[in-house]
Amino acid sequence: MDHFPLNWDKLGQENRGKPKNDIFADAITRTQRPIVTGTSVIALKYKDGVMLAADMLASYGSLARFTDVKRLYPVGDFTVLGASGDISDFQYTKHLLDTVMVEEYYTNDGHVLRTQNIYEYLSRVMYNRRSQFNPLWNAYIVGGYNNDEKFLGYVDLLGTTYQSSTIATGFGAYLAQPILRKAVEGKEDTLTEAEAVEILDSCLRVLYYRDARSFNKFQRAKITAEGVEITGPYKVESQWGFAEGIRGYGP
Amino acid sequence: MFLTRSEYDRGVNTFSPEGRLFQVEYAIEAIKLGSTAVGIQTSQGVVLAVEKRVTSPLLVSSSIEKIMEIDSHLGCAMSGLTADSRTMIDHARIEAQNHHFTYNEKIKVESVTQAVCDLALRFGESANGEESVMSRPFGVALLIAGIDEKGPQLFHADPSGTFMQYDAKAIGSGSEGAQTELQEEYHKSLSLQEAETLSLKVLKQVMEEKLNNTNVQLAAVTPEHGFRIYSEDELQAVIDRL
Amino acid sequence: MNPVSLYDIDSLTISPVEAPVERQFYPYADNGGTSLAIAGADYCLVASDTRQSSGYSISSRYSPKAFKLTEKAVLATNGFFADGLALTKRLGQKLEWYKHAHDKEMSTRALAQMLSNTLYYKRFFPYYVFNLLGGIDEQGRGVVYSYDPVGSYEPEMYRAGGSAASLVQPFLDNQVGLKNQQGAQRTPLPLDTAIRIAKDAFTSATERDIYTGDYLEIFVIRQEGVTTERIDLKKD
Repeated sequence: MDHFPLNWDKLGQENRGKPKNDIFADAITRTQRPIVTGTSVIALKYKDGVMLAADMLASYGSLARFTDVKRLYPVGDFTVLGASGDISDFQYTKHLLDTVMVEEYYTNDGHVLRTQNIYEYLSRVMYNRRSQFNPLWNAYIVGGYNNDEKFLGYVDLLGTTYQSSTIATGFGAYLAQPILRKAVEGKEDTLTEAEAVEILDSCLRVLYYRDARSFNKFQRAKITAEGVEITGPYKVESQWGFAEGIRGYGP
Repeated sequence: MFLTRSEYDRGVNTFSPEGRLFQVEYAIEAIKLGSTAVGIQTSQGVVLAVEKRVTSPLLVSSSIEKIMEIDSHLGCAMSGLTADSRTMIDHARIEAQNHHFTYNEKIKVESVTQAVCDLALRFGESANGEESVMSRPFGVALLIAGIDEKGPQLFHADPSGTFMQYDAKAIGSGSEGAQTELQEEYHKSLSLQEAETLSLKVLKQVMEEKLNNTNVQLAAVTPEHGFRIYSEDELQAVIDRL
Repeated sequence: MNPVSLYDIDSLTISPVEAPVERQFYPYADNGGTSLAIAGADYCLVASDTRQSSGYSISSRYSPKAFKLTEKAVLATNGFFADGLALTKRLGQKLEWYKHAHDKEMSTRALAQMLSNTLYYKRFFPYYVFNLLGGIDEQGRGVVYSYDPVGSYEPEMYRAGGSAASLVQPFLDNQVGLKNQQGAQRTPLPLDTAIRIAKDAFTSATERDIYTGDYLEIFVIRQEGVTTERIDLKKD
């Protein structure tokens, strides 16, 4: 024991709740597989900025477990984080980024983290966690708008990063990305907001039809010079009438 | 000079109200008790010369080592508490080897000097109780000679961790007289051979004993041969030119 | 069904249930892409495509993996993109430290040795990157160093790396190394020829390698500095 009251219970703390002679007492748990998961996030650049979209489902395996989960999260005034993969890791990441933003705000020097800075920070976190064999089991899309500049970046559980004018995670990489590329590439500075919404909706519709872990309840984020705007929940039109004529399909 | 001791003499890391660190200043004084060492830089290389105090006819003079190799392109002469120099030269050698290992190139003379000086103020104890390496400042000064991409250079490092580059520099008991002599005799177009003789001439003037090939040591760093300590015969040849 | 067969040993051993397989997190990915470097008498050329792949998908059409490290050296990283980026960042820091410690820009030779050590220090959790370091030496001559992920390296005159290395290297052996050609004139390779060879190498690699394409970035390192050129490749 020392004479600093703040240290007095520290020794006790280490062993609290641990049985003696338990060889597993010091064991640590790592994310070895995702448990509650979110499916695709899709995003594109358009004339006024960047848009992201995702459904609001969190699945427990094949069970549609939570149906009102927000997977688009604003970080600061001009950045949105879109998450697929493990939802608890996403919640941890939200908390982490909030802490960083608050700490930056504390310094009160008028400096705010731009989308690029948030993206770089998140990338380092993701890469460091994978390097410790303890990954955050997610694929993230970071979208933002700063000083007349659009930003759209991807980072995943391996720390792999890239930037592009269209990005889609998960199943979206196969089903939505080709549609997005055809509609957006070369038109990043001319697509109107209405056109961008239409493109995203058509992607969401395809995903809803073909991705068994998707859900017809979406949110959409728009980041422009005006800031972040998240709309929804909303639905896309879908047509299941054909199921009637197919044996074994539907109820 | 320091006739009156004050309470600020005690702590090795305590500033006096006048802003002085007495122990460091005393350490610099300790150099002035050491045998004289001289370094001269020329365009053809750098010469180092030291006086060896052979205090007894029974003393094996070759066992007094005051010029040492740091790397093939770096040499060093010392004055003061020469035992202290072991730490510094060990560090310099490691730093030079490490640099070569990491970068596949020879370390610069200034860089190795800086590395040695980084050690100088790591005495006393630190605020958060980490272990400190030394209990007192070094009692030795070094003349570091070498050749790198900037050509031949001579540096002087003292116990305060300060280092400076010189065309010619003398340290040790005879340094005042020697430095004056060097200032008069030095010129930019000095040849290596002239520097050899000048260094011994200067030593001869400040030495109490008569200079011979056993009570001085001479070394040079040249582009051709790198660092090299002169043999007794080579030394004699230089003495004969005096 | 004969109830006896339920207890038949054979039917139990050839059960349709597979033995449990434990899958654990694998910290690497192959992001594809190709690079090449050619050393000339007074220049060095480093070329990389900019496609980043993940499986059969194109992640990004423009995600450069060749980086200017100093005024005299360019590094092309191939393999796991995240490691390539982390490695490049670390080298950038080390270069800055070196500049402060020694008051000079690091030479390409020193950088080559440092890169080798940096890779080897992670010998037991390697950067999964096949590096090509192109630059000019202290005499202004072109140099190429090629590496394996754990730091083995050697200086060469030309080298291809990455997913289409097996396609491009034989082409360079023929066009730059003039291998197996009797009576070939071994004259120094002019820069415009080297650029032409690089472009041809990449259009051909793009044709056959699904991981190569989109854009080609060509760095030319000379005594005066580094220039960059960007060229379209097929996007399919």
